[in-house]
Amino acid sequence: MAFLNTSNFKLSNNLELLLILAKRDISVRFKQTALGMIWAIIRPITTMLVFLFAYKNVTNISNISGYPIQIIIYSGILFWNLFANGFQSVSNSILLSSNLISKVYFPRLIILFSAIAVSLIDFLFGLFVYFILAVYFKINISYNLFLLPIVVLITLFMSIGLGAIIASFSVKKRDLLQIIPIVVQYGFFVTPIVYTSLEFYLKPWFKIYTFINPLVGLVEFFRFTLISGYHVLSLNEILISIFSSITIFILGLLIFQSKKDTFVDHL
Amino acid sequence: MNSIVSVSSISKKYQLPLSNKEVPKSFVNKIFKKKELVEYWAVKDVSFTLNKGDKLGIIGNNGAGKSTLLKILSKITKPTTGKVDIRGKVASLLEVGTGFHPELSGRDNIYLNGAILGMSKKQITQQFDEIVEFAGDQIIKFLDTPVKRYSSGMYVRLGFAISAHLDPDILIVDEVLAVGDADFQKKSLGKMKEVASKEKTILFVSHNLTAVANLCNKTLHLEKGYVKQFGETGEVLNNYLSAMQNNLLEQSFDHIEEAPGNDLVRLKYAKLTPALIGNQLIADVRNSLKIDIEFWNLLDDQNLNISLHIFASTGECIFNVGTQPKLLNKGVVQASLTIPGYFLNDGNYLVSFMIVKDKSIVLFNFEEVFNFEIADFREDTTWYGKWPGYVRPQFNFPIQQVSQKI
Repeated sequence: MAFLNTSNFKLSNNLELLLILAKRDISVRFKQTALGMIWAIIRPITTMLVFLFAYKNVTNISNISGYPIQIIIYSGILFWNLFANGFQSVSNSILLSSNLISKVYFPRLIILFSAIAVSLIDFLFGLFVYFILAVYFKINISYNLFLLPIVVLITLFMSIGLGAIIASFSVKKRDLLQIIPIVVQYGFFVTPIVYTSLEFYLKPWFKIYTFINPLVGLVEFFRFTLISGYHVLSLNEILISIFSSITIFILGLLIFQSKKDTFVDHL
Repeated sequence: MNSIVSVSSISKKYQLPLSNKEVPKSFVNKIFKKKELVEYWAVKDVSFTLNKGDKLGIIGNNGAGKSTLLKILSKITKPTTGKVDIRGKVASLLEVGTGFHPELSGRDNIYLNGAILGMSKKQITQQFDEIVEFAGDQIIKFLDTPVKRYSSGMYVRLGFAISAHLDPDILIVDEVLAVGDADFQKKSLGKMKEVASKEKTILFVSHNLTAVANLCNKTLHLEKGYVKQFGETGEVLNNYLSAMQNNLLEQSFDHIEEAPGNDLVRLKYAKLTPALIGNQLIADVRNSLKIDIEFWNLLDDQNLNISLHIFASTGECIFNVGTQPKLLNKGVVQASLTIPGYFLNDGNYLVSFMIVKDKSIVLFNFEEVFNFEIADFREDTTWYGKWPGYVRPQFNFPIQQVSQKI
């Protein structure tokens, strides 16, 4: 902050504000619902059931790449919801907090980071259901599970990075907001969510594809940590995805930081 | 140098799209032609310095740049040019209860609002009981009720109570004192005075000149974004009051984009006409005053009414009168009010009015739309002292001799 050299906000205060905003979003989420947090698991389960219906009754598929269809689909959806819900709320976060932004100063990044809280909590509930499914389908859990927090973190980096870009550019002109549903809807199908990369792994464009769509490597890495013996992509391909996710994260934050001082003039 | 706030020639430019309804726009033009923008300086070349413990009152008409200045000082927006140097912890109160979430309980909102205003969790916990006590007995009972069930009075009291317990070095306040009922206002003003008596620096925007005179040792008078005067409160206020004699009696806006207001309503026209008698030049206590208002209503199917306030130049509200609410559609809405002669006493008055939806939601408050003076007029009297009071009624007050016996 070149024009103001006050150290108004301490890091610990920032962290507290981040947590309290996150807590607000979480506790408000299911206010005045009878089922409460159970809604967090109803969504991924219904999505899975829909695809199960399609696969079993329409195309008569009962396993994908040698794994129970339920496990592949559910793990994919779990991953996708974590990414997509986080991405959506980060993208909308600045406009939704316009009242705060125009009345109080605090580091604006806090708004971006607190926006992923809800999707993270939903994810944890969904993960619990995954373990029940895994036991039912006799899928072993290996030590790879310890890598799960890393995948989750990188996925959230992707959500925040992409979300920050949309949030920064949609304050002045709202056009970019229209992209969000497109990414969420079609991204679901161009990423191996309800299938695996094994289906087109040998295609010549696959390398470029993992580079352009880092979610490919991330979702396969995600399954690798959850499904024992699942080993679809090489470490190299996963590293490419991690690298492009982190690049998008940094890019998003840089764009956000350069735009944040003028937000209030356009809100 | 022991200045705690130093503002050196800050300016803030906004760009507003120019309206040209005359040129019909083709679809292609609409998308590809760059809109022409009008530059508008909300704050221009403002400089001042404050020492530790100074209380600064910021006064000026609507659109003088007071709110923009406060936003720059609170770091909410960046100045286009210039530099602000503030040493110490700043708390700015541009609104009461900023960030309150309607679904959360009073208790949760105290923590939420406190954190947003820059308090640590520990600080809030330490002062929690004090905050609740300050907010009043009613709040204690409803501490675990969502604030959406609070009355607006309770909401505002809780909001102010939290702000009152901030402990900054520099406090920036935007007219948030004008909240709550009379009792609570007294309490808030008392709290402000208590804060003021400490070694705190306060920047205070207000229309209430009495409050500025009581609280502030320095005053900044802004006019159209420029500093009109900055100095000792007494001197600045005197000049401000005498400058107000230049009555503002008519405002008219041809283009909706330039008109004051917001996305819901914008002022089109407002005129105050005194019914002058004979060759009178300025209005006096005998004359009735007609106020005509036209505004653009930008939404269909709204249940609107106008609530008009007349203030004395010292800031006290003389009266508040409202139209009946009426179901109105998009377009221009007109209203007129006649204040009879022999109602207002001589003096300076300000007129503000707000457009209210469903009798409760203020869509926009047009502040200080008129600023006028009424001269004195007396016949058959030998006494020429200042007639006291804000009103000058001619009530029937018969006097008679009923007996000659003592």
